[in-house]
Amino acid sequence: MRLVPTAEMTLGPFFPPEFAAGANDLTGQVPGEVIEITGRVTQLDGRALDNVVIEIWQADPQGRYDNPDFLGWGRAATDAAGTYRFKTVKPGAPYINFLILYSGLMRQLQTRMYFDRGEADERLVAIREGASRCRFDIRLRGDGETPFFGD
Amino acid sequence: MPYVVEPRDPLTQSEGVVAGYAQTASRWPGQPLARRAPGAAELSGPARLERRLPLGRSDLAGRAPRRAIGQLIEIRARVADEDGTPLAGAMVEIWHCNAAGKYIHPNDANDAPEDPNFYGAARLLTGESGAITLRTVKPGAYPVPDSGGWWRPPHVHFSVWGRVWLSRLVTQMFFPGEPLNEHDAILNAVRDPAARSRCIARLVPKDHILVYEYQMVVRGRNAALAM
Repeated sequence: MRLVPTAEMTLGPFFPPEFAAGANDLTGQVPGEVIEITGRVTQLDGRALDNVVIEIWQADPQGRYDNPDFLGWGRAATDAAGTYRFKTVKPGAPYINFLILYSGLMRQLQTRMYFDRGEADERLVAIREGASRCRFDIRLRGDGETPFFGD
Repeated sequence: MPYVVEPRDPLTQSEGVVAGYAQTASRWPGQPLARRAPGAAELSGPARLERRLPLGRSDLAGRAPRRAIGQLIEIRARVADEDGTPLAGAMVEIWHCNAAGKYIHPNDANDAPEDPNFYGAARLLTGESGAITLRTVKPGAYPVPDSGGWWRPPHVHFSVWGRVWLSRLVTQMFFPGEPLNEHDAILNAVRDPAARSRCIARLVPKDHILVYEYQMVVRGRNAALAM
């Protein structure tokens, strides 16, 4: 029997505040280089977006995705200035997977934040702001639009 | 277990700019989505999410004298993958507005009344059969601001995790027999009629409660079975 995946639908504007809070800190599980990732999410006209839900999935500092002692998943929501924030340990992998859910997005958008240029599109490379801070802005549509994946 | 996730079918999955839903034109990317070969980062996923997301509330209806206003219902939802294999211990987040069409969210400017006995958010884990049961009240319809008369039909939001990162599913469950279903820009953006009808729950009346059955299928299948 083969079932067809359920149609994804928009998160809508009213994701419960308690669901969006308190899941953006991945530190304290395993030793590693602590980093902060922040960014701003904007739409076509450049307006910053409030209450965008961003989820991440990353490897542990050794590059493992199946470490039972490290849950490499986190969630943050943007504030009224469109800013999100994660605190985590640097993965032993070139990138962190990002997923974006919001009103006006019929389904999830997928992208990646890379730490170094390498083979990556330069719009997917985090900007270093000091030793332990990365900036990764997300432009949903328009000039400087973030590349997204359609898998 | 080797697992495969195939690209989305545009007939059963909506995307892009949708007529009647103004925000899609400001937010859906203007550039085509890039293809990538899924690797370890995409074909693995979070386990035991309750370590980060605390469970809470399996009954949103409450009991007298603090029962929520509205028609008492029970939602029996099941989560399976494309092989039909149930997902046991999977996290399910559910949220919906109250019987008058008002959400608990501060951004909801609808002037419908709040219900002090209703808090519309639940977080549960599926049992061995991949199912959850939620006792609640039926949500109301509500108008979408500045949309020229679009009213959302009664619906329930679901957020579930499958076996891998690419299996993440966020969707909405609709109710059968609702006239507004025919006009909803979100439900009708799903082009395949059969896929659309699977987004509508099945009513199974019981002695004491109206039961709505609903199945969610997350992306992905066992590679050995996919041959």
